[in-house]
Amino acid sequence: MELQELQTLWSEMSQELEQQKKLTNELIMKMTQERYSNKFQKISMYETIGAVICFISALFILLKFTVLDTWYLQLCGAFTVLFLILLPILTLGSLNRIKRINLAENSFKDTIVQFTKAKKQLLLLQRIGIYLSFLLMFTILPVASKIGKGKDLFLETNIWYVYLPVMAIFLFFFARWGYGCYKNITSSAENILGELE
Amino acid sequence: MSKEEAFTQIIKDHQGLIFKISALYTEQKQDQNDLYQEIVYQLWKSFDSFRAESKISTWMYRVALNTAISQLKKRKRRPNAVPMDKVVVPTTETVDVEFEERVKTLYVHIQKLNILDRGLILLLLEGKKYEDIAEITGLSITNVGTRISRIKQKLKSEMTKK
Repeated sequence: MELQELQTLWSEMSQELEQQKKLTNELIMKMTQERYSNKFQKISMYETIGAVICFISALFILLKFTVLDTWYLQLCGAFTVLFLILLPILTLGSLNRIKRINLAENSFKDTIVQFTKAKKQLLLLQRIGIYLSFLLMFTILPVASKIGKGKDLFLETNIWYVYLPVMAIFLFFFARWGYGCYKNITSSAENILGELE
Repeated sequence: MSKEEAFTQIIKDHQGLIFKISALYTEQKQDQNDLYQEIVYQLWKSFDSFRAESKISTWMYRVALNTAISQLKKRKRRPNAVPMDKVVVPTTETVDVEFEERVKTLYVHIQKLNILDRGLILLLLEGKKYEDIAEITGLSITNVGTRISRIKQKLKSEMTKK
């Protein structure tokens, strides 16, 4: 297919589309009001629900913090609480940055630059989140055990023989997959930013 | 004419434009429909701020392309996976299979370009002049010209591979 052909084909397609005017006034106004079944809107809804669950869990640990009676349990508790509060706030903030892009006033170039930067930041945050969540798996278990059953897991060594190797294998594969995804997306983001800035 | 009437008329007049942009920036039918709705919603939201200084189509292209970028999801590299139902479906009863196939190939080629180049080639194919393209994209006219000749070369070598 030659370029000239491409242009002719595009015009033919546009003419076909012209004949297919299917939209009614009702349908158009419905689109402006309800935004029904829009998958994109659901993403931040899931993030918000996740954040609320994290905040409730953090609050629960904070209320029971006095139960954690040794320095290492308190350290695990503090890390868990910080993780459950900070990471959702940062993620929601990052998503908000994408939402705040001015689609009506921005030029196409500005939108690409702002969106790519915000997306890079979100991906970096997600990547940090993946690694920290493994640390969370390590800290949340003794905290939950102490608060729920009153048991100090650090004194019961048997569970760590199973838990630690399983966690390490899981971390290895998950981190490798996460890094691959991150590398591909950010390198294409770097390319486009390099071209535009 | 009320605001609603004016808006619905504009959308009806330019629905092909929204269709083409949503088809170029998505891979699945459902995503295409979602993007179509999102573009209409964003146009409605910014309808009050539209100033008659620029052409209505310039404003529409800008908002629609910006919306397409803001809703980009992580794309899986499947350049040949354009489903048949996302390209033009002829209104006549006799389906021109060859035409459908050619349109499909056209989409495949354009979707291989990066997000900026896809927008530029779309505007060029829509018959926009370099000045209009520069106004919509925020690039300089010289930059538009350079990029477009590069895209043409890219497309040509891609198409001659077949």
